[in-house]
Amino acid sequence: MEYFSIFVKGIFVENMIFAYFLGMCSYLAVSKTVKTAVGLGFAVIFVLGITVPINYLLEEFVLKEGALTWIDPSYSTIDLSFLSFIMFIAVIASIVQLVEMIVEKFAPALYGALGIFLPLIAVNCSILGGALFMQERQYPTIGEATVFGLGSGVGWWLAIVAIAAIREKIRYSHVPAPLKGLGITFIITGLMGMAFMSFMGIEI
Amino acid sequence: MKAIHNLISKVKPNFEEGGKLSRFWVVFDSLETFAFTPGHTTSKGAHIRDSIDMKRTMMMVILAMVPALLFGTWNAGHQYYLSIGEITTLDGLGTMFWEKIGIGAQKVLPIVAVSYGVGLGIEFIFAGIRKHSINEGFLVSGMLIPLIMPVDVPLWMLAVAVAFAVIIGKEVFGGTGMNIINVALTARAFMFFAYPKQMSGEIWIHQGETAAIDGYSGATALGELANTVGKAAGSTEVTGIMSNFSLDGVYSMSNAFFGLIPGSIGETSALAILLGGAILLFTGIGSWRIMLSFLIGGLAMGAIFNLAGANAFMEVNPVHQIIIGGFMFGMVFMATDPVTAAQTNTGKLIYGFFGGFFSIMIRVFNPAYPEGVMMAILFMNVMAPMIDHYVIASNIKRREKRMKLQTA
Repeated sequence: MEYFSIFVKGIFVENMIFAYFLGMCSYLAVSKTVKTAVGLGFAVIFVLGITVPINYLLEEFVLKEGALTWIDPSYSTIDLSFLSFIMFIAVIASIVQLVEMIVEKFAPALYGALGIFLPLIAVNCSILGGALFMQERQYPTIGEATVFGLGSGVGWWLAIVAIAAIREKIRYSHVPAPLKGLGITFIITGLMGMAFMSFMGIEI
Repeated sequence: MKAIHNLISKVKPNFEEGGKLSRFWVVFDSLETFAFTPGHTTSKGAHIRDSIDMKRTMMMVILAMVPALLFGTWNAGHQYYLSIGEITTLDGLGTMFWEKIGIGAQKVLPIVAVSYGVGLGIEFIFAGIRKHSINEGFLVSGMLIPLIMPVDVPLWMLAVAVAFAVIIGKEVFGGTGMNIINVALTARAFMFFAYPKQMSGEIWIHQGETAAIDGYSGATALGELANTVGKAAGSTEVTGIMSNFSLDGVYSMSNAFFGLIPGSIGETSALAILLGGAILLFTGIGSWRIMLSFLIGGLAMGAIFNLAGANAFMEVNPVHQIIIGGFMFGMVFMATDPVTAAQTNTGKLIYGFFGGFFSIMIRVFNPAYPEGVMMAILFMNVMAPMIDHYVIASNIKRREKRMKLQTA
């Protein structure tokens, strides 16, 4: 039940895009067609699902104050949490490299469509955001951290696929010239955020 | 008729290209086509000959809303006289009929006027600048907005909300038929989030100068139910509230069905709304798929909550649950909006089901929003293109499979 609640919260209540507006750059840039959006969305789910638990282990056994006691009890006062940003980013960057190689090998078309945005997942704020939320919220077990990562990823996937479908739908709409492209996308994002506010404040 | 026609033909040259009033062509054009069938035909693309056009569709929807509007007008007066103690619930409903209508009209007509005035004004300006003809879409939205407003809403606030909804919700997407979320609901949601203080509490009835008598509560049924959340079941407060929902309480099933309860102008009477719904279904303008699946979704969620039964709100009978609040109104008039709903038949079923499902879920789970219907429909509006996309994708896949089977 605990897992389920974390998962659902990650998708709806604490949606990365509509609650925290994290990962907006690739969200806005790669949402022109549903197909590429789905691909990038899955990449984000994958990366979040892997990096959050790895970073959790890192946090638990290296960075937190007293985390190093498993090496020697005398290390109980060492606090390496000032290193967390750089460590998290290093983990994320290496995982993204891995994803990139996998995508290039098995889905070259998707690789071409995603272009520069695949390597850019490394600096996608939602990925680092996932790691930092994990640190901040102090999930008690690695299982919960993983579920949180997957839930946030699914939430991000839902957001980008939904906006991509909307953008495909309005492709032939008579949008005023100055708002064409990114302008209208920002407005849509705002309106979608309003719709997602229906879940704000729900306690599961 | 003849006289109007002559008048229009006489002034027409002034508005045509080169005439001295040509900049007001859009205004003239909309008034002319309003009165008579336009003489021009589609100049390119596919042609379909049908006696129904957009104007007639919109008129049918407005007609369908009339019962709810008339009832809402009467109910505004009814609730007013109840609140000041002129009448009691024991009096016949016909008592002071015209006085009630009078009070109601005093409150409702300005709201309708402001909604239409602001909305159509903006529409005319946009049409003039962007050189497209004025569409009839706002005739419906402009009528829906008053119906989902509290009686005592400040008119300036209404004007701001309508302006926001028409500009950001519709015109930036290219006008009628292009919007992605329902215009009327955008106005309501804007108001809800921009002026939370004014949109909650004692605004559901017209209070006037006189203070309400003791024992009269102007709260909506859902507002009362939301008060029970977080309190121990069986405590005196909860049983006090829940007694209002029993057979002879204020929010009893029959009162809620006929609409003798406080609430937004058009939402209270399930009967009046269903009458409108019948018109929509009979003329084929509203989608039966959406209405039916929306209803099933709401009942299903209500039944699930019944089984869970964690608090008094969850234990409300599913049928009772869907006739209080805006559920019926959302189902008949909001969810069926042909522009923002899902377009495919399977998609409509999914869209409707989750709309109803989320309506009840948000209502019960989220004490901050006692009215879940508005948010649920907005949410489903956002999701509708995605549902359509996947429905179409699965259709394509199925047909490909069939073709392969045939060729193999």
